[in-house]
Amino acid sequence: MSAGKESRIRTHARLRENVTSWLIMVPGLLLMLFFVWEPLFESVRMSLYKTRNVELVRFIGLDNFVSVVSKDDFMQALVNTFSYTFWSLLLGFGLPVLLAILINETTRGKGLFRTAVYLPNMLPGLAVIILWSAFFSGGKSGVLNILIGRLGIPPQSYLTRSEWVIPIIILIATWKGAGATALIYMAGMAGISPELYEAAAIDGATVRQRVFHILLPAVRKLAGTLLILQIISVFQIMYEPMVLTKGGPDNASLSLMQLMWQYAFGGSMNYGKASAVAVIVTLILLVMTAIYSFFNRRESDWE
Amino acid sequence: MKKIQHTGVIREYDLHAPAVKAGYGFVIFLCCLAVIVAVFPLIWVTLAGFKDLKEFLSSTSIFPKSFSLEPFAVTWNQLGITKNYLNSLISVAGSVICALIFNGLLGYGLGILKPKGYGVVKKLVTLSLLMPATISIVPLFMNIQKLGLGSSFLPLWLSFGANAMYVILFMQFFESLPRSIIEASRIDGCSQLQTFFRIVLPLSKPICVVVAIFAINAAWSDFLLPYLVLRGTPKETVMVRLFKFSTEQTVNEDTMMRSVVFSMIPPIILFFIFQKQLTENSVSVGIKG
Repeated sequence: MSAGKESRIRTHARLRENVTSWLIMVPGLLLMLFFVWEPLFESVRMSLYKTRNVELVRFIGLDNFVSVVSKDDFMQALVNTFSYTFWSLLLGFGLPVLLAILINETTRGKGLFRTAVYLPNMLPGLAVIILWSAFFSGGKSGVLNILIGRLGIPPQSYLTRSEWVIPIIILIATWKGAGATALIYMAGMAGISPELYEAAAIDGATVRQRVFHILLPAVRKLAGTLLILQIISVFQIMYEPMVLTKGGPDNASLSLMQLMWQYAFGGSMNYGKASAVAVIVTLILLVMTAIYSFFNRRESDWE
Repeated sequence: MKKIQHTGVIREYDLHAPAVKAGYGFVIFLCCLAVIVAVFPLIWVTLAGFKDLKEFLSSTSIFPKSFSLEPFAVTWNQLGITKNYLNSLISVAGSVICALIFNGLLGYGLGILKPKGYGVVKKLVTLSLLMPATISIVPLFMNIQKLGLGSSFLPLWLSFGANAMYVILFMQFFESLPRSIIEASRIDGCSQLQTFFRIVLPLSKPICVVVAIFAINAAWSDFLLPYLVLRGTPKETVMVRLFKFSTEQTVNEDTMMRSVVFSMIPPIILFFIFQKQLTENSVSVGIKG
């Protein structure tokens, strides 16, 4: 009898504890709901409706998608966005690893190197883009032209060349982000026991062999995670071309997210079509993440 | 004094070989090059701020003719940057408070309290980390308008209370705290909230500092949502102003460069105060995700 009562009191206390715990989490959850989760569902819903200003007028199925995709600028933006991703992986994926390996080797001045390469990451992205726009400006007072002028090369124009504009934007993004990513790799490298290197050295492994057989394998998993995060972030590239080139020359740097922004806030306020573009980007990213995790699982099965 | 130790692949005895020694020299050279590449643009833009429009457009020298601070003062006053700075300050302050309180409490729930069913929330939060953020900006802006929160700082502040990364940083830190301390406090009769404010929070200074720095910097640099919410009101922040300059082309290039300098001063100050936390602490915390 008393045992039953005691257990009932305990269940009651457990329940109360659970309820209080949830109440503590509720404010944060409500904000997540309002700012992150609901908008995601809302953009799927909105993409299926004809919209007028902030109102949903009527359900139109996939019409928004059809109308968005059939425009020339969509194909151009899609190709460009993949091009951004390609360049970003080419220029921006290996560089942080290399930086990390180099700085990891230094003894004196390590703190200075770490601090200096991290600095660009702290700067506001918008300020960075405007700053670099002056660098690549085409006149003779553009900084790059001043620098190559010292080598006797005549002034060039950069941002008006359609084949250069995407690599340049990626170069700027890499300048901003590479140092911070390098520090993440360095934290991973710091976890490697020096005894491993010493043991390998005693066995006659050269410095290069130690890099390829101890250092790089140790950060491979980390590199996989950073790879997928990099793809997700570069796929959303938007304000960089918006500010630097307005998507030009001739839509050569127009990105998908920029197209979304144009539909929504570029004067026409077509939120339905903007959402359709957003949904397409989300789907592409979901597919890529799924492919990545599929291969990742396969690989870890082998290990 | 602490002995300097090699942490890298190259060990001390390797340096006896001339080839390795030369290679090591090359490594140092490349590191110095990286420092120059990272810092040079900042030095350049500051120098460019001293030039007037004519000099900016025609001079082929990186150094300005004179180092008078007058152009900076003129631009500052002409554009009325003081007001934008104050607005940015208000926006940043509220954002940091929201980032610490809301994400901290959610992290506390997921990392320590773990009520029945918390696993679902944990999954959702982790997934949100992978979800592209800008994608939902359109419906988010619509929601804000529907609630009549346009042209107010409130949605900007609260948006920082919903950051999956900060929640996870808090959660991981809380999980690393010794459980015995928390249980002892519960046995002594503290409620969950009391335990949070009296026991957990005082132990969590390192993570609070890291999240606060991240939030300050992010709130200062943010301009897309602030632009949509605040444009055309007297509440425009520094970054909103800068975004308008760059898209509407209402100012000259030299003025633009000075505005860029103005917008970078607070983050750089923040960076030099907290460089140790930023380059050591945060990173090792951040990667465990």
